[in-house]
Amino acid sequence: MIADGDRIALFNSPTRVMKAEKVLRQAGLACRLIPAPREVAEGCAMALRFAASDQAAVFRQLADKDLLPRRLYTKDRGGCQSIPLPSTE
Amino acid sequence: MRMPIYLDNAATTFPKPESVYQAVDQTLRQLGVNPGRGSYRLAMEASRIIFEVREAVADFFQIADSSRVVFTTNATEAINMALFGLLQPGDRVVTSSMEHNAVRRPLHALSARGVDVVRVPADSIGQVSPTAIREAASAGGRKTRMVVLSHCSNVTGTIQPIEEIGSWCRREGILFLVDAAQSAGLLPIDVQSMGIDLLAAPGHKSLMGPPGTGLLYVADGLQPAPLFFGGTGGNSLSPLMPEELPERLESGTLNTPGLAGLWAGIGYVREQGLERIQNHKVGLLDHLLHGLHSLPGIRIYGPAMAERHGGAVSFTVENRDLAEIGYLLDDKYEICVRTGLHCAADAHRTIGTLPSGTIRVSPGLFNTQADIEVLLKALETIIG
Repeated sequence: MIADGDRIALFNSPTRVMKAEKVLRQAGLACRLIPAPREVAEGCAMALRFAASDQAAVFRQLADKDLLPRRLYTKDRGGCQSIPLPSTE
Repeated sequence: MRMPIYLDNAATTFPKPESVYQAVDQTLRQLGVNPGRGSYRLAMEASRIIFEVREAVADFFQIADSSRVVFTTNATEAINMALFGLLQPGDRVVTSSMEHNAVRRPLHALSARGVDVVRVPADSIGQVSPTAIREAASAGGRKTRMVVLSHCSNVTGTIQPIEEIGSWCRREGILFLVDAAQSAGLLPIDVQSMGIDLLAAPGHKSLMGPPGTGLLYVADGLQPAPLFFGGTGGNSLSPLMPEELPERLESGTLNTPGLAGLWAGIGYVREQGLERIQNHKVGLLDHLLHGLHSLPGIRIYGPAMAERHGGAVSFTVENRDLAEIGYLLDDKYEICVRTGLHCAADAHRTIGTLPSGTIRVSPGLFNTQADIEVLLKALETIIG
């Protein structure tokens, strides 16, 4: 489901994650809605997965639409590590 | 079998565009799963439909952020959600004497809980004066929390000057709740330029969606307390409702087929265009009003000028039982009109038609001039 190096973004609500997916697809950026891995979200939540190489472009688009995620993770060494949200300024 | 002539579109529009029937049917058959409750592709697809309907609604009413659109089962639920979710004992609310029971009854219940409700009387044609609203909202020695007003009367069809009232409310920092039951999909509504903080609308009237659909727009910064509590598909460990909209106000399974139908309905309205829809309505109401004027003993309520009505015209017939006329129209001519109080006793008190009410005729998008002619001829025969 998630390859090493992939980014996983968590949003404040299901509606915002849907909107983020739409915005990124309209911008031609590959992404996919996935069930959030249990180590990053309690209960049931959806997350957005995208490639690390697209991170800068993804955050530019999301910042432009005021849709920045709540938290960001990267898959590494078999687990999900929290990483800081990149600056979009 | 000949279809009856349906002239009760102010209650709900019927028939619907073919695309609405198809959207409901296809969604129920092919995507009848629970949106937002699973991560398999079908559930995701259902969630995307809900999301796209939300976007379409937001776009239609110039709402900047679609997450501020909350889906409800009808406008009544949306109004209750706004009133009970935001008003506290001691708050002052200004409304009018033309409101439907969807506004009147929740406000009555809230007044018993300590909310101060002030009703501004409308004039004899059902028109609410912005000056009277301003005066009522400025009186009382303390700040008014909210003004609640229907955009268009469901009895007389009178259109209220909501732009003027909304702009004033915004300047004064007073919340403005608009009941758009009779106007959404018929009259232009722009929540930004009209100063609307809360917009309640049914999906099943002029937006052409199926029954069981409605919506509440909640302006950014407002956080109504939920009316219902339950599952929202996320953050399930918490016993608390989420803070974020729309999930905070949308517990339980959403009506995906109905909302898909609403999406198709809004698409149809957009395709037709509000100007064309209004011109069609004005043409039918003009014919109706002219015909009624030529019949004996008829009294018309409201502005009696087609372009100043929403979708409804109300009238009485001197010395006749209106319920009987309604019965005869149905029984002998297969014409569906509404008689009585239309769930708006205050409005009838205002225009002087209590306790019998009026006969209300409300043509829709699919009615024709021939339908109006059949109605007028039937009335001529019945009245004699």
